[in-house]
Amino acid sequence: MTASNNADLRRLLRGVTLPALLLAWWWAAFRFGWTEAVLVVPIEKVWDTAVRMSSTGVLWQSLGASLARDLAGFALGSLAGFALGIALGLSRLLENLVGPTLHTIKQISLFAWIPLISVWFGLGDTAKVIFLSLAAFFPVALNTFEGIRSVPRELIEVGRVFALSPGQMLRRVVLPAALPSIFNGVHLALIYAWLATLGAEYLLTSGIGIGNLLTDGREHLWMDQVLLGIVMVGLVGFGLNLAATRIETRLLRWRGNSTGQY
Amino acid sequence: MAHAGTLEINNLSKQFRVKGQSLDVLDNISLSIKPGEFISIVGASGCGKSTLLRLVIGLENDYQGEILLDGKRVVGTSLERGIVFQEHRLFPWLTVAQNVSLGLLNADLPEREKDRSVQEHIELVGLKGFEGAYPYQLSGGMSQRVAIARALVNRPEVLLLDEPFGALDALTRNHLQQELQRIWEQEGITAILVTHDVDEAVYLGDRVVIMEPRPGRIKRTVDVPLPRPRDRGSYAFAAIKDDVLAEFADTPPVALVTPPQTVSDWQFAW
Amino acid sequence: MTTLIANHVPAALPAVRRPRLRWNHDALRRFALSWPLPLAVLLLWSLAARFEWLPPQILPPPSMVAATFIDLMASGELPDNLWISLWRVLAGFAAGAAGGLALGVLMGLSPTAKDYLYPSFRAIAQVPSIGWLPLLMMLVGIGEALKIILIAKAAFVPVALNTYKGLENVSTRFIEVARVYRFTRWQLLTKVVWPAAFPQVWNGIRYGLTHAWLALVAVELLASSEGLGFMIVYGRQLYQLDVVLAAVVVVGAVGFALDKVLALIENHLLRWRRDGF
Repeated sequence: MTASNNADLRRLLRGVTLPALLLAWWWAAFRFGWTEAVLVVPIEKVWDTAVRMSSTGVLWQSLGASLARDLAGFALGSLAGFALGIALGLSRLLENLVGPTLHTIKQISLFAWIPLISVWFGLGDTAKVIFLSLAAFFPVALNTFEGIRSVPRELIEVGRVFALSPGQMLRRVVLPAALPSIFNGVHLALIYAWLATLGAEYLLTSGIGIGNLLTDGREHLWMDQVLLGIVMVGLVGFGLNLAATRIETRLLRWRGNSTGQY
Repeated sequence: MAHAGTLEINNLSKQFRVKGQSLDVLDNISLSIKPGEFISIVGASGCGKSTLLRLVIGLENDYQGEILLDGKRVVGTSLERGIVFQEHRLFPWLTVAQNVSLGLLNADLPEREKDRSVQEHIELVGLKGFEGAYPYQLSGGMSQRVAIARALVNRPEVLLLDEPFGALDALTRNHLQQELQRIWEQEGITAILVTHDVDEAVYLGDRVVIMEPRPGRIKRTVDVPLPRPRDRGSYAFAAIKDDVLAEFADTPPVALVTPPQTVSDWQFAW
Repeated sequence: MTTLIANHVPAALPAVRRPRLRWNHDALRRFALSWPLPLAVLLLWSLAARFEWLPPQILPPPSMVAATFIDLMASGELPDNLWISLWRVLAGFAAGAAGGLALGVLMGLSPTAKDYLYPSFRAIAQVPSIGWLPLLMMLVGIGEALKIILIAKAAFVPVALNTYKGLENVSTRFIEVARVYRFTRWQLLTKVVWPAAFPQVWNGIRYGLTHAWLALVAVELLASSEGLGFMIVYGRQLYQLDVVLAAVVVVGAVGFALDKVLALIENHLLRWRRDGF
């Protein structure tokens, strides 16, 4: 084993120390009856619940419903944000007309929209997807706008020297140069959309989803279900983050390690 | 071989507006460049030499006077005039080959012709084998060579170079000057180089145009009737270089030892 | 290689006269252009309410919202709830940011601590704050503690993460300078590491406040009987959308104000940093 392998292994072992201790303490607490609280459940019970809900399909249905809404809202909001971001980035006039209003509306904390949305669109899937689109819209719009404005003038001049048409300029110079920023916005939108999915399921209670599982578990004081829900939420968040990072690395592999030099 | 253009600059003047005040950047510049000629323009910072190039390439359009290429007025940018900037300005998201082919994007050629031309020019600048590399993988000198290939690939009539080697280290600079010399001879196009390096100007130019600043004017033009490739160490080279440098120095040029004029000058006194 | 040295003494730029007029003109133009859109929306809204394209419970006219707003201010209902929300978010934020700073500094300065703590921290951070809400509700009920804890958690994660990253990313070049000048450990930390890390640390603090405010609104919508979020829910239950809209406006204004305050402090503390870096 090389020295670096040793160091990696040691780091790995240290990393799992805390969770391992926690799990051990949890198991022992129940095994040796250290606590009588109704709320504490043994680890096995959480696992059993997971298996049970998985086999009945409830777990997968809830997960599927949440993810479907999440991705639908994310896609809609991102597309709208992308379109508006480009429009604002290319036209100073539009920026002056729409920009201030956009920045003002952005200030309103996301969840404050839900009661209004529930009045206008009900409590079902439509309302949720609209809310999620709103959550994804702002980061993409603002980052796309920022990206287009930050395209280095020097590269635009190269485009002019080679007599590129406005369409070619947009497609071959502006958008590729803005892509890192746009992707930043998309990544943020993904995070906010998942956050919003949960919140929407708490507040717009009709339908099924992970959030509903959590609310359900809380109301019935089913700690195992709540803990399971939290783990699922974390896993999905982690998965989405990982996917976004991977895609970003592939799409932007031309960046190398250094910051952009032109 | 590209067709070499004839460039005429007549009574060119330009002002910039800075905070409401008008600043004279170029004042009555007139220059006549023959096809296939290599002109070096030297001057200190602020003499407007870069502005002059930007007017010729068409990135700036507000001026008085005339700029004529082959007798036709220059309006905006065009594929007939190419430029190499001081920064390489390669698109970081494109490979070397894709960057070079950018010059042919709007050219009226079949795909195969374009590919062949791109490959030719990559080899011309000595970067064979690097077609698939991204700019972040290249050194400064290599990137600048790609920029030169990109500027030449659509065979412009005039190649402008705006302090192209200013951002490179001295060794690379030297090497690339030789490369540029070779490439220019091979392509046979008209070239205008702007630089603050007198050595570079004399090494590469058929004529050296000396500009002075505030406002930018042509002070003098010095011919360089030396055979190519030039020997930087030769007496003639040094003489021309000193001649140009003298225009920028406060002290009068050092007088060289004058050769004896008559027999009696070297006769012993006794 | 020989270079030229300009031997002309640079002439000063001609004295600039009346620059303010130009700047004002541009800013004025931008200010004027920002109004047509909101005014058009307001007009459309008024017309829709006037001609009852939608029932008044769903779309109260702007005049009614304005009147309600004034009423709520006067009666003290709005200021009271506003104060409660503000107090909660500031208390929770203070607690969370303090904890986050502590953890971030610990992980940033001690590789051992980082090895032990960072993976667990990352795992916890994967679950967004409101994911913890049901669990917390079961553990501590729906009193003040719930709100403060949740808000603190929301602020904790970005502050800890950014503090840690900021410390980790302190350029080795600065540290090398400190070594050459033989700084003591304390001097290194206070004069080099902390100032270098500070921009990112402050970034984390701003994110922390944003997320804290986000969490506050969420928890007040779900489990509160006072505060701005509660006003929104209450108004919604009674179909008094004018109350809802008034409260939403205030939520937006507070969110804006909080971020603005931090931005101003940042400008003052980081005035050595220039734009376009």
